[in-house]
Amino acid sequence: MPKPATPAPGEWVLLTYRMPREPSTPRIAMWRALKRLGVAQLSDGLVALPADARTRQQLDWVAEQVTESGGTAGVWLARPGTLRQEHELATAMASARAAEYAEVTSEATTALDADPTTHTGVLRRLRGQLRRIGRRDYFPPPQRDAAHAAVAALAAASDTEQSDPDQLDTEQEELA
Amino acid sequence: MRWATRAGIHIDRAACAWLIRRHVDPDAQFLFVADPAEVPEDATPFDMRGVELGHRGGDCSFETILRRHDFTDPVLWKIAQIVHEADLDDERYDAPEAPGLDVVLRGLSMTCDDQQILVLTGPIFDGLYEYYHRAALLGREPA
Repeated sequence: MPKPATPAPGEWVLLTYRMPREPSTPRIAMWRALKRLGVAQLSDGLVALPADARTRQQLDWVAEQVTESGGTAGVWLARPGTLRQEHELATAMASARAAEYAEVTSEATTALDADPTTHTGVLRRLRGQLRRIGRRDYFPPPQRDAAHAAVAALAAASDTEQSDPDQLDTEQEELA
Repeated sequence: MRWATRAGIHIDRAACAWLIRRHVDPDAQFLFVADPAEVPEDATPFDMRGVELGHRGGDCSFETILRRHDFTDPVLWKIAQIVHEADLDDERYDAPEAPGLDVVLRGLSMTCDDQQILVLTGPIFDGLYEYYHRAALLGREPA
């Protein structure tokens, strides 16, 4: 009987980089780009993302950015040596996202208890925030659903306010 | 003229190909390669690492081509903002159209090959151009 396939570590894309300490502007730009992509920092000058067409391309462009500003950079495809090592990497990335989702949940909950006129603005900002976190969320943690639920609750509350007949009357008067 | 870019195209490469064919080289032929080393001698590479028509100083390749050719058409620069945000998502511009266009292109990359994507996205960019052209003339959103 054939043995069941053993799960093997997946492919990752790595960026190695060295940048001059000065000027600091390109360093900060690179740091922001890496933060936006949600990379795992493996050590100084070495970050990783799970490999797909998009992540590979994005790290290619960060590498280009580094080279342009007088640094050196390389993009590599690699596999963690063991499943355990991959698991640790994925867990660290998931917990970084979990903290970001928890922040959204807490802001949405606070907003629910606050002045209803502020709901729409907060809602718009938090939806943007969820979209940005989602783009760098490669291993969704349980906190993801809680954050989406909290933002949905805020949306529902702000819907109710808008369909409140008293408020509609006021709005119509203002329009007239 | 022949133009070459990385295979598995997405928003920036699709937009560049449209820009090249409409505004730079009407007879442009496009090749898709897996590695920059595969670009033939007679082809101009774009949107690849280490080439002139790539990302430059925080610009996406579409913006780089506009700069290299001194394009000043505000409609093309408006499209450039959308392409930039769909590609880099760095919030340099306010382009609410970008996430939608990004998803459309990602979906097409799952169902079509690169040549087909160029065939399909040509009319999409033509339409976007017309829309923002009319918006510029009217000074407001066209109907």
